[in-house]
Amino acid sequence: MERISTHQFMTLGAAVLMGATFLPVASLVTGVGGRDGWMSVLPGFAVGIPYGLMVLSLVERYPHKNLLQISETLFGKWIGKIIGVIYILITGYLGGLLLGQAGEIYQTSVMPLTPISVFYLGGLLLVFYLVRSGIEVFARFSEVIFPLIVIALVLDVGLSIPRIEQGELMPILSEGLKPLFWGGIKVLPFPLTYILFLAGIAAFLPTGKQELGQLKTGVWRAVFLVGILDTLVALIQILVFGPTETIRLVYGLLVLGKMVEVSKTVAGVESLFLGVWLGAGVIKISAFFFTAIWGLETVFGLKGLKWDLAVGIVFLGIALQFMRGPSLIKEIGLLDDYLVLPFVSVWILTLWGVARWKKGAGV
Amino acid sequence: MRSWLKMIKELTIRPKGERQIRKSPTYSYDEDMNKPLSGIKVKEILSGSSDVVFREFILQGKERIPCLLVAVDGMVDKNQLDLFILKPLMVDLAGHPEVAQLTLANVVDRTLQSLLPGLEFKKISKMGEAIDAILSGDAVIFFGDSMEALVFGARGWEKRAVAEPITETIVKGPHEGFMETIRINTSLLRRKIKHPSLRMISLKLGNLTNTDLVVTYMDKIASPDIVSEVLRRLGNIKMDGVLGNGYIEDMIEDNPYSPFPQMAYTERPDVLAGKLLEGKVGIILDGTPIVLVVPATLTQFLNVNEDYYQRPLSVILFRFVRYLGAFMALLAPSIYIAVTTFHQEIIPTDLLMSISAGRQGVPFPALLEALTMMVVLEILQEAGLRLPKPIGQTIGIVGALIIGDAAVKASLVSPLMVIIVGLTAVANYAIPYYDLSIAVRLIRFPLMILAGTLGFFGVTVGLYVITIHLLSLRSFGVPYLSPVSPLHIRALLQDTFVRSPWWALKRRPQLIDVEEPRSGWKGKRKGRG
Amino acid sequence: MKRTKLKMGLGVLLIACILFLTGCWGKREVENLAPLIGVGIDLGQKPGTYLITEQFSIPEKGGETGAEIQGRTFSVEASNVREADEKISKIAYRKPFMGSLKVIVIGEDAAKAGFNDILDFAQRFPEFRRSMYLVLTKGKAQSILNLKLGVNTSPAMFIKNNLEKWETISTYPMVNLGHYLTVLSRKSTAPIIPLVKSIKSGDGGIEYKTERKDGAEEIQLEGAGVLRGDRLVDFLTDEETKGYMWLENDVIHRLIDTVGIEESKVNFGGKVLKSTTKYNVKGKDGTIGLEYQIKASIAVDEVMGLKEQLSETEWVDLMKGAEKSFAKVIQQECELSIKRERELGLDFLGIGRHIEQKNPAYWKTVKDQWEQKIADFPVSLNVQVTIHNSGMSSSSPTTN
Repeated sequence: MERISTHQFMTLGAAVLMGATFLPVASLVTGVGGRDGWMSVLPGFAVGIPYGLMVLSLVERYPHKNLLQISETLFGKWIGKIIGVIYILITGYLGGLLLGQAGEIYQTSVMPLTPISVFYLGGLLLVFYLVRSGIEVFARFSEVIFPLIVIALVLDVGLSIPRIEQGELMPILSEGLKPLFWGGIKVLPFPLTYILFLAGIAAFLPTGKQELGQLKTGVWRAVFLVGILDTLVALIQILVFGPTETIRLVYGLLVLGKMVEVSKTVAGVESLFLGVWLGAGVIKISAFFFTAIWGLETVFGLKGLKWDLAVGIVFLGIALQFMRGPSLIKEIGLLDDYLVLPFVSVWILTLWGVARWKKGAGV
Repeated sequence: MRSWLKMIKELTIRPKGERQIRKSPTYSYDEDMNKPLSGIKVKEILSGSSDVVFREFILQGKERIPCLLVAVDGMVDKNQLDLFILKPLMVDLAGHPEVAQLTLANVVDRTLQSLLPGLEFKKISKMGEAIDAILSGDAVIFFGDSMEALVFGARGWEKRAVAEPITETIVKGPHEGFMETIRINTSLLRRKIKHPSLRMISLKLGNLTNTDLVVTYMDKIASPDIVSEVLRRLGNIKMDGVLGNGYIEDMIEDNPYSPFPQMAYTERPDVLAGKLLEGKVGIILDGTPIVLVVPATLTQFLNVNEDYYQRPLSVILFRFVRYLGAFMALLAPSIYIAVTTFHQEIIPTDLLMSISAGRQGVPFPALLEALTMMVVLEILQEAGLRLPKPIGQTIGIVGALIIGDAAVKASLVSPLMVIIVGLTAVANYAIPYYDLSIAVRLIRFPLMILAGTLGFFGVTVGLYVITIHLLSLRSFGVPYLSPVSPLHIRALLQDTFVRSPWWALKRRPQLIDVEEPRSGWKGKRKGRG
Repeated sequence: MKRTKLKMGLGVLLIACILFLTGCWGKREVENLAPLIGVGIDLGQKPGTYLITEQFSIPEKGGETGAEIQGRTFSVEASNVREADEKISKIAYRKPFMGSLKVIVIGEDAAKAGFNDILDFAQRFPEFRRSMYLVLTKGKAQSILNLKLGVNTSPAMFIKNNLEKWETISTYPMVNLGHYLTVLSRKSTAPIIPLVKSIKSGDGGIEYKTERKDGAEEIQLEGAGVLRGDRLVDFLTDEETKGYMWLENDVIHRLIDTVGIEESKVNFGGKVLKSTTKYNVKGKDGTIGLEYQIKASIAVDEVMGLKEQLSETEWVDLMKGAEKSFAKVIQQECELSIKRERELGLDFLGIGRHIEQKNPAYWKTVKDQWEQKIADFPVSLNVQVTIHNSGMSSSSPTTN
């Protein structure tokens, strides 16, 4: 059974958690939270911590099993299988949608005349290669790429500081705390998709006592790192664009990148960000590819090259369905709000609760 | 369908009857190898070559013993044979009471124990051993039809003097280099590490070449898994001939299809010693001064031994320049193509004007221009290798410049392209390891094509594919991209992109788990430690 | 296992090659581009159309010296940008390239009629950056862009280069598209855009040698225009714009003098080294007002009218007097600006924003009637100047 190290768990988790959240996050939270929306990013992400810890405690009790197998053990075969099917459907669908988003951003911003299927194929090729190379290579890939993502984000934010418009941040909390609450709710699906991935990777985690402790710190670190980065991203957009513009701009970070101009020579760093963004997107799509495959393997016992290809084609099909940008984003939003949120929050909570109860009952 | 294939087969392959399949020489040779030896048989096998010398002489002991001395002229030191075999046996000891006792039964033992001076004498009893010994440059003495013989190690052939290797020159360090004779190489290594834990394991590879091979490592420092893996893979090699390292490399590499080298090599004893102290395993091959070092990681290919002889601050600069050069060599043409063809909005306006002006009248699109120039560059480089040394260098550089200049004047290429190609070529040489610079040259082309068709998206996808490939490569079990991934932070900070001073490199590289510190102070010292 | 992997790899490679065979999409060679440098917007003759002027910069191979830039400018009447692009593409040499657009010049008539529709293209098209500059002009944008300048560069590049050195004189705001859109979204603030004019020799007291008889050959950046939303309402004079710069905390370096203040007989000229403006929203007897606190640090470079040599203490006193004079200059400029704001009823100084930031509760009560409230909203000024140094000499050379 392949294994990943504790450090890889942190970077992998952070990379999957981050995914491509930094692109819509500003527009999203400002849309519901107004000027203070950026403050709700970190608390929203922090909800991932208890859920992550719950998953880890389940790993402690049932080592080397992923959460679907644990569900079968705890809830019985049929309910477990149903949960597995929902799992496969959600993650598979999300994966396809994200693939669509990846192609869409490239096509909209830099290369409008290239048919979008080329981007899909390119992205899918990378995802496929990653997935076929195994989870260890995937973890290493994220170890290499994630620091680059962080650097690119920090650079984008930092180099945009000269463009800050005075005083856009004020007034703080003029509308009270309620918009923050809504902003937080909007952000919640991000960490929960991360939990979905954790559910699948649970089987590959090291289970020694010391390592579990490190894994737990890994969850904290990942959530905080990504939460802070996303907060910075939302913050800088509010500071530079003001709230109305932030909501209006679809890919605000990219526009920021376009505005970067260091002493008239370094300009156009948005291509760097796009390259890094592709890596982040590939990581997240691969994560969902993995979850779909694990799901298939656990629930139906299907594995092998044929099924991998099948999943790939399904992804492609889903992505091709949504050829228009706005409907794609809407679809992701819908999926996030109405499927991911309830399913994950309830499932993990119940799983953990039942495990605790069983432990308490001495079973 | 099948009938078509059959027809094609019949048309293209000659029917069996017309060919005579010969048996390879190893076949008959192998049969005889374990047989007990006999001088007559040996004479039979070897008499076909005119450089094998057969010297018969008589030992008059209790019995009359006809002796046969066999050696290869040119490989054996004839003086030693005269002094230590022929003179004593034929002249000095004639009439000696010891000699009078000799019979066919005891001649080999007695001669070995008391009659012959000389350091390297050994008793053998198999045919294979005798033939091997003779052909390796030793002399063998056959006594009558006894089934034992004596081997005298008296090798002496023409070899060049120990000199600095041309490819690995440094400014501030020793200038010795390995030679083609394996014994000299092992001795050069022994002079660097005078500790009993330096182990050398001898093998012979190649059915027809019988090339000597020595696997060397530091016992207790090198990981026993790696050592046994190396020995196992070497043992599995079955080839006619092993003439150079390339033969072995292909056979024991983890992934021979990858363009990236998975084994390092060196021609310098100090480098080899340094690597052995880090826990690596060396493979010394007779007949070539190049020693293979496993396992190898990518960052190792960009660090040079000179780094360890220079001051740490200067090393930071050198390593930075090298890494920058490597990146430029890989990416410069691709980025140029991608930016000027797809993403012109990145270029600052004034630069855009210059580039555009430079490209006026050029009939080719940027991609084709770049590809053509790179191909011409490769041809020039290859040609430069074949020409005699002084001419070769000049042709390479001057040719490129002149051709480039003429092409610009004729409006066939733009001046910026010439600059980029020149920079790329030069940056390629910043990569210390030849194998890696070849790999970079190879990968450049697909990247350029990707850039020309899909712009930055293509380049990014290409880079990611390369990254994933690198991440999945292993060299004898060690991930290729250590210590970047999996992350060994101490190694990363200390010896990858920058080098800490020796008093800070206390612990051994993290790839091997050896507890004891390798450098530091004896006792306490003011200030540092 | 290895063989299937190999076959798969080959299969992927084949597919990739086929993709590449079909050609590259969106590829354009850099020498086939005509970079667009400036765009001018005026009203067209037909209602509902705009007169769009596009200024290209076409590089040619210039032999030994490198690039030779030729410029071409086209004007076309169209109802939206894309239609104009199409019409111009038909006659432009090489393919117009939008990504290098630097300046958008808005003519007076187009500004008065509102230009947001035309601007939508600028903020939606992905090749554009939000850092391109907006300027207003009196008269037609077309005429500005068609000027043949004394220096060998196109008007758009001229404007861009001059705008970029705004920090050294700080007498006009630098507005790029992003800033304009952000200000627009604040709703309470009126956007302000700098003004360019063509200057004939002799205009405004500046003379220069001309090649043509009575053509203008230079462009001047002075003053600004105030808009309500996207409609131009009126222009600000030079002093009013300077006041705006002080009040908006936009003064980085400025050249300043005290002639005309009549504070003392001695007049000073100097350079502002540093200036900060702070805002205080204070309540005084129940009414909320805004107080501006301007602190400037000036280096005196020029002293005029000094009739006698002064001693050390006298010099220090003179400098203190200079501080007061300078402060008065700044105050005057600011007051002019504030007066204009009240007259126009347009909050281009951003007072509303400051109230919103510092006292959001009060802002909520007044924001709906803000335009009316501007006329009598209490605003006070507090200007403090420190003379940092007075150059290389203390007293002036005098005749006695």
